[in-house]
Amino acid sequence: MQIPLVLHAERLTKRYGRRTALTDCDLRIPRGHVVGLVGPNGAGKSTLLQLACGLIGPTSGTLSVLGSRPAANAAHLARVGFVAQDTPVYASFTIADHLKMGAWLNPSWDLALATRRIAEVGLDPTQKAGRLSGGQRAQLAMTIAAAKRPDLLIFDEPAAALDPLARKGFMRSLVEFVGELGASAVLSSHLLSDVEQVCDYLVVLCDSRIQIAGPVRDLLASHRRIAGDPAKMPATMSAGIEVIWAEHGHALVRGDAAVRARDAEPVTLEELVLAYMSRAAGTVTAPRASAAVSR
Amino acid sequence: MIRMSLRQFRIQALVGAILLVLAAVYLLRLGGDIRAVRDTSQLPSQYTQTMLFLAAGFGLVPALIGAFWGAPLIARELEAGTHRLVWNQSVPRRRWLAVKLTVLGLASMAVAGTFSALVTWAAAPVDQVTGDRFSALLFGARGIAPIGYAVFGFTFGAVTGLLVRRTLPAMAMVFLAVIAVQLAVPNLLRPHYLPAERVTVAMSTDAINQARMLGSITGGPVIGGLEVPDAWITDTSKLLTPDGRQLSDAAFNECFSNAPKTGATGTFGDTAVCLGKLDLHVDVAYQPNRRFWPFQWIELALYLGLSALLAAVGLWRIQRRVS
Repeated sequence: MQIPLVLHAERLTKRYGRRTALTDCDLRIPRGHVVGLVGPNGAGKSTLLQLACGLIGPTSGTLSVLGSRPAANAAHLARVGFVAQDTPVYASFTIADHLKMGAWLNPSWDLALATRRIAEVGLDPTQKAGRLSGGQRAQLAMTIAAAKRPDLLIFDEPAAALDPLARKGFMRSLVEFVGELGASAVLSSHLLSDVEQVCDYLVVLCDSRIQIAGPVRDLLASHRRIAGDPAKMPATMSAGIEVIWAEHGHALVRGDAAVRARDAEPVTLEELVLAYMSRAAGTVTAPRASAAVSR
Repeated sequence: MIRMSLRQFRIQALVGAILLVLAAVYLLRLGGDIRAVRDTSQLPSQYTQTMLFLAAGFGLVPALIGAFWGAPLIARELEAGTHRLVWNQSVPRRRWLAVKLTVLGLASMAVAGTFSALVTWAAAPVDQVTGDRFSALLFGARGIAPIGYAVFGFTFGAVTGLLVRRTLPAMAMVFLAVIAVQLAVPNLLRPHYLPAERVTVAMSTDAINQARMLGSITGGPVIGGLEVPDAWITDTSKLLTPDGRQLSDAAFNECFSNAPKTGATGTFGDTAVCLGKLDLHVDVAYQPNRRFWPFQWIELALYLGLSALLAAVGLWRIQRRVS
């Protein structure tokens, strides 16, 4: 039996009125990865993740999550944990109330896990959630999502509003949860640095389209930086080389021929992401894309 | 999910309970005072005003329930973004809404039912003497119909909150709309639940003096506030001449302004004498008082049906809505 994919999108499209947030996205992400979804603000990351947890529905195309329609039923909801952007919690509830809520609303709720995590990150269960700092709130939201022991955890820009220290703590918790639960995870960010630390699978989304997706190791193995402009090379040399982006006498290229080419140097993940973003933005300096992935 | 609904409802429920207890204390004392009056014929003069105020105040209850229990139910979640938290627990959002509507809907019905039972009990001796619990205002503050108003107010509030997505505007809209519905139904719908009975009333001088209102600011031959024994008058025609035509404005105004002086002492004095000589009549449509309970059931069913329809809209919409 074939193991269902974590995310399987086919020609997935979402429009809000006249604005298109996602265009013809195809994705096949297998299980067992921590997937980083990167792209500039407004690229459609949030839309893709909200589609994946069933908060919104697609305009056309299909998306299946763990083998079925997102949020298809209670059992499927139990298998997907979602931490929304800005990590919403009930301001008038205490942390303990939130854990009770988790128990009321999730048959698979692991109270021991939740209680332990709250203690480990140093939160007081009697405190009202409305009084928590951004980092504490994010930890609470993540604990609620994880304590139902999902097979997939989805994080929508969870660290965007956090200071560097809180972000570091959040990312560490995230990795620990994923390890403890044996779950897959998808995490969006406009900051490549967040993603680079924890993800082993990368999806680059720009201008409502998927630019590239694949395991980080494969991506790094199949891309090279070469000197000179391939467009000016003899055809025999440039055959089998796809130029992603060329700038200042260097080119970032893809393909087996590129890997074997003389003078080909390995690329960093940042160079690779920037090249795809620049290509999507279509300008030499690509201020929007490069600003968005600044470290 | 029931416990979650109750937990989120805690403060609103507490406020509602306190107000209900205060109202209950007042009504129990009022009922006691009314029963302490030995001469029941005195009751109308002492308590008619109180009954009207009470009915008007009770009329606000569904609007308050709609604004404070209904409208924030979903709108507050959407505003705070917490729907993105709660809809990703293992409860499909249709069930989430269905449970919330059921729990708070039942609470609304319980509050209105208790309130109505107390008002009905307190007012019973007065109603027995005046016999006007079927009148447009008092009808809505007696019996079982208020249960329907409350559940309608709540459901309307919840669904409006879902559609408007903002708590304060939804609260204001719901409050005003529920009051508007409660003004419209007694005047536009209720008279037609069952075919009205009709009677022709001769407008003798005495009969005219029994009326509460004669003439209008537009000068038409209008009479109002007539009484038919044991009935709620739903429509009164203008003054009609023996051949069935409407009395001309000129003839009416002549009697109204320049009636011959006779020294008559009735409510409308010489005007009544002058009009009485014209052999006028009016056609009156009315609902006999024995239809009070059938009308209560019809009105309850109407509001429950409307609430069910609104709930269905909410359940359909919440599955489709784009967050």
